[in-house]
Amino acid sequence: MSETFEPEIIAFVCTYCTYAGADLAGTSRLKYAPNVRIIRLPCTGRISPMFILKALQKGADGVLISGCHPGDCHFTHGNYHARRRWMVFRALLDFIGIPPERVKYSWISAAEGVKFAEFINSVTEDIRKLGPFEQYTQLIDQAKAPASL
Amino acid sequence: MSIEEQYRTRAKELLSGGAVKMVIGYGKGSNASRRRPIFISSADDVERLVLDDACITNLSGYLVSEGLLSDEKRVAVFLRPEGIRAINILAAESQLDADQIVIFGFDVAGNEVKALKGIHVEEFSDVITSIKESAPEAAEEELFEKIEKMSPQERFSFWQEEFSKCIKCYACRQACPMCYCRRCIVDSNQPQWVNTSSHTLGNFEWNIVRAFHLSGRCVECGNCDRACPVNIPLRLINHRMAEEVLGAFDHFAGTSKTQEPVLASFKKDDSETFIL
Ligand code: SF4
Ligand code: SF4
Repeated sequence: MSETFEPEIIAFVCTYCTYAGADLAGTSRLKYAPNVRIIRLPCTGRISPMFILKALQKGADGVLISGCHPGDCHFTHGNYHARRRWMVFRALLDFIGIPPERVKYSWISAAEGVKFAEFINSVTEDIRKLGPFEQYTQLIDQAKAPASL
Repeated sequence: MSIEEQYRTRAKELLSGGAVKMVIGYGKGSNASRRRPIFISSADDVERLVLDDACITNLSGYLVSEGLLSDEKRVAVFLRPEGIRAINILAAESQLDADQIVIFGFDVAGNEVKALKGIHVEEFSDVITSIKESAPEAAEEELFEKIEKMSPQERFSFWQEEFSKCIKCYACRQACPMCYCRRCIVDSNQPQWVNTSSHTLGNFEWNIVRAFHLSGRCVECGNCDRACPVNIPLRLINHRMAEEVLGAFDHFAGTSKTQEPVLASFKKDDSETFIL
């Protein structure tokens, strides 16, 4: 087991800013950690907390959520609604014992390719240090096991 | 005249004059220390009403029973302050017309029952404000603080232990006045967000969703907690969420019938210290 642990991270991003930011990072040939699977959504307001739970349910070690800076929302205030929701959901996850380090939030605009690459790198590094989310994957394994009578 | 007597008399007057079509109150339960909800529509039955310190259940949820209020007639209901807050929330969320609800307000201090003055929900705003200001503690402050001090791993283990007991009976949902959705997210299978089995993974998801959907709406009446057949301390999660919305958004659920739901509104300068 000398191999370094490669976390699997799911990123939910808004198409109008962070996704375009990711594109910019790509076209600018910026290198960033390949651990992130990006899922594009029409707005941060569309990112239901259920998505975060679903990602964890499918074995993600970390989840990223990113969208337009306050004031820049394509739909004018989707990100303001999202921000409140995250605040509350974050507190809930923390209280239940799902470490806040595993679920990260950011604002990244279409012009911030560099910020995107750095964000991905730093989060990947942090989650690599934390290691696999064993407490949760153990629940997933249990759920898969045949029922004992 | 005891409060019980006064309220029976008032119920009799309202029913016989036709001012309300039904009184929802408490009656004798299965043993001396239990009370059960009763639904009275005849003035002759008011003697069955009981009011004492064992009247705990928040009865407001019955008001959103399908069709009950659709004839626009009035219904009277016995409510503690939490129940009165629930009426405000239900009205703010357009689930009922607060003018149709006649309140028999009461509160219990020690084992003494006292009447709360007022008939319509807006007359109780002082009572509600004073609860907000008194910053009620968690039902089990010690355990609550212990959990807060744990590491995330310890907290996870604590809840893993608790949630592993859940049998997904959804009694907590049925008992909650604010869980009125016709189709709950756990009943949705296209897509299926929450594992339906009552394995611990599915139970985590269920309990997280339940608490999240009640954040900023829960009045800490304790109906869910008392309904849980395996005694999961849901009150602790509810309290944590109430504390969060109060601290972050100065939101105390159910202060008025026009209060904006906390997760359906925002301020441009809401806190965002956690966003990178
Ligand atoms: S979540 Fe529980 S304590 Fe809160 S309002 Fe619903 S039943 Fe009452
Ligand atoms: S009442 Fe208790 S056992 Fe039933 S679904 Fe709710 S938490 Fe689970």
